[in-house]
Amino acid sequence: MTMTPTSSTVVLDPTRHVPGVRPPGFADTLRAEWIKFWTVRSTFWSTAMLFVLGAGLTTLVCGLAAKDIASGAAGDPPGAFITWGMMIAQITAIVLGTMAVTSEYGTGMIRATLAAMPGRGAVLAAKAIVVSATLYVVGTVTAFAGYFGGNWFLDREGVGVALSDDGVLRSLFGSGLYLAGLGLLAAALGLLVRHTAAVLSAVLGLVFVVGQMAWLLPGTWGEWIAKLMPGNAGSGVAMAVSFNPQLLSPWTGFAVFAGEVAVLLAVALVVFRRRDA
Amino acid sequence: MVGGAAGRQGLGHDFSIRCDGMIAAHDLTKTYGQKTAVDAISFTVEPGRVTGFLGPNGAGKSTTMRMILGLDRPSAGSVTVNGRRYADSPAPLREVGALLEARALHPGRSARDHLRWLAVSNRIPAARVDEVLALVGLEAVAGQRVGKFSLGMGQRLGIAVALLGDPPVVVLDEPVNGLDPEGIRWVRTLARQLAADGRTVFVSSHLMSEMALMADHLVVIGRGKVLADCAMSDFIADHAASFVRVRSPQREQVADLLRGSGLDVAVHDDELRVQGLDAAGIGELVGKYGLYLHELTLVRSSLEDAFMTLTADSVEYSASNAAATPVGSAR
Repeated sequence: MTMTPTSSTVVLDPTRHVPGVRPPGFADTLRAEWIKFWTVRSTFWSTAMLFVLGAGLTTLVCGLAAKDIASGAAGDPPGAFITWGMMIAQITAIVLGTMAVTSEYGTGMIRATLAAMPGRGAVLAAKAIVVSATLYVVGTVTAFAGYFGGNWFLDREGVGVALSDDGVLRSLFGSGLYLAGLGLLAAALGLLVRHTAAVLSAVLGLVFVVGQMAWLLPGTWGEWIAKLMPGNAGSGVAMAVSFNPQLLSPWTGFAVFAGEVAVLLAVALVVFRRRDA
Repeated sequence: MVGGAAGRQGLGHDFSIRCDGMIAAHDLTKTYGQKTAVDAISFTVEPGRVTGFLGPNGAGKSTTMRMILGLDRPSAGSVTVNGRRYADSPAPLREVGALLEARALHPGRSARDHLRWLAVSNRIPAARVDEVLALVGLEAVAGQRVGKFSLGMGQRLGIAVALLGDPPVVVLDEPVNGLDPEGIRWVRTLARQLAADGRTVFVSSHLMSEMALMADHLVVIGRGKVLADCAMSDFIADHAASFVRVRSPQREQVADLLRGSGLDVAVHDDELRVQGLDAAGIGELVGKYGLYLHELTLVRSSLEDAFMTLTADSVEYSASNAAATPVGSAR
């Protein structure tokens, strides 16, 4: 490494007008968070993985199951399969949401962030927008790619679904919405817990394990608890035809899920504002 | 107030940045449960000079610095920069530049990208990024991920971050940690230059020897309390008194003679410690009376010793109670 000669440290002239012409605002906070998000490799790899899993698995499963779907042996209608891969791609959405927050705590970066942008509400809002916008766009694009890939096989067996069929477009855009919501859920929990492994375990456990086990609860109240679990309530919107008839209707379920995410974000905001960095 | 500070009114050209350049702590307190890390300290840091913030590890230096930067919330009291809380600054990086722990970075991000998002967040022109990279000598590795950086390179990047907004107030927490001797000299020169520009420079360290070379003013802290707040020169005069060591086979007579001449004489084992006259003067005086001398040495007690004496009672983790040695003082 070369060393700048000591004399060149004098180039700083304090009377020089370095700063810009107006004070930074929320748009600058948002841009800063956007740069931070996209300048670590894990973001690229996670979004690439999201696409590969989401679109790839949908295509693969439709390709493998097309004959069974056509013959009725699969037990579910073709619409239940056209966003199949998105159920796995959820994992990468959760990873992205978690890492956007916990990587800052793991490295001490959070102090640089809050020294540069002391408005904690604005930082949280900017992170939420960056994570959810990215996941919404990538999730929706992935769902469309999976649909076109999978439907090619379904069409060959004569059971293809059209974009105009009931619930198909809703499930494709809904996939983006659901992944965006999951990312926010993970980010909010990230702010509360601050440790990558703990947050990942908690969110994955909540969505994939606790959510499924809740169906085993007895009685009407048990059924309601299961219906209201975030993964169960939110995922309906991402499926043209649900595998699980007990789920809430797509938009009702998504509203419940969005409400849960909003509450968690609000709690995260309160804690984030009070806590030392 | 130093002239440079007045000259920077251009900084607040469209929005008000009041620039008295002062850091002012008032009864600043931080408690963690039962433990008081910072105990109602008050001090001001003024522009145009380097103020050293000195204390053994665990004395509350970093906690104080985090409170200055609005990262930690004071339990009581307040600290302001330019007359207001740091968090109330419209563009904090342009007002206060800070070097926090060297690793307040994501290891996967490049040095340039790290500076880039910081610049964007405070509307600092993008050109300034390359300027500070050159300033700290990191332009050749700007595209590399900072996880590969040595401690010293990380420290340089931290200093680049601090200077990014060309701020009138610079806060450096242990800036020489991990630097080689050349790097240490560079930081020292830089700090002095920043102060000469008229900036407020607040530098923490647990090394008295480093502060003696860098700081004009000194705030010494131990166990969360301010132990001294004075000019460096006063601290040296008060705490690092020199004496002349005198050994003689005729110790008693020599001691009587010197005392009779109005000098301070203390007896330590077989030596006399004399204050009030230089070695040459003592030699001549003793010679006049035909007494023998075996040793005549000027001894300057080091600042490190003075610092340790001052903070001996307040060292949090000492090697033993008998030898209260602040961690890292073994230089």
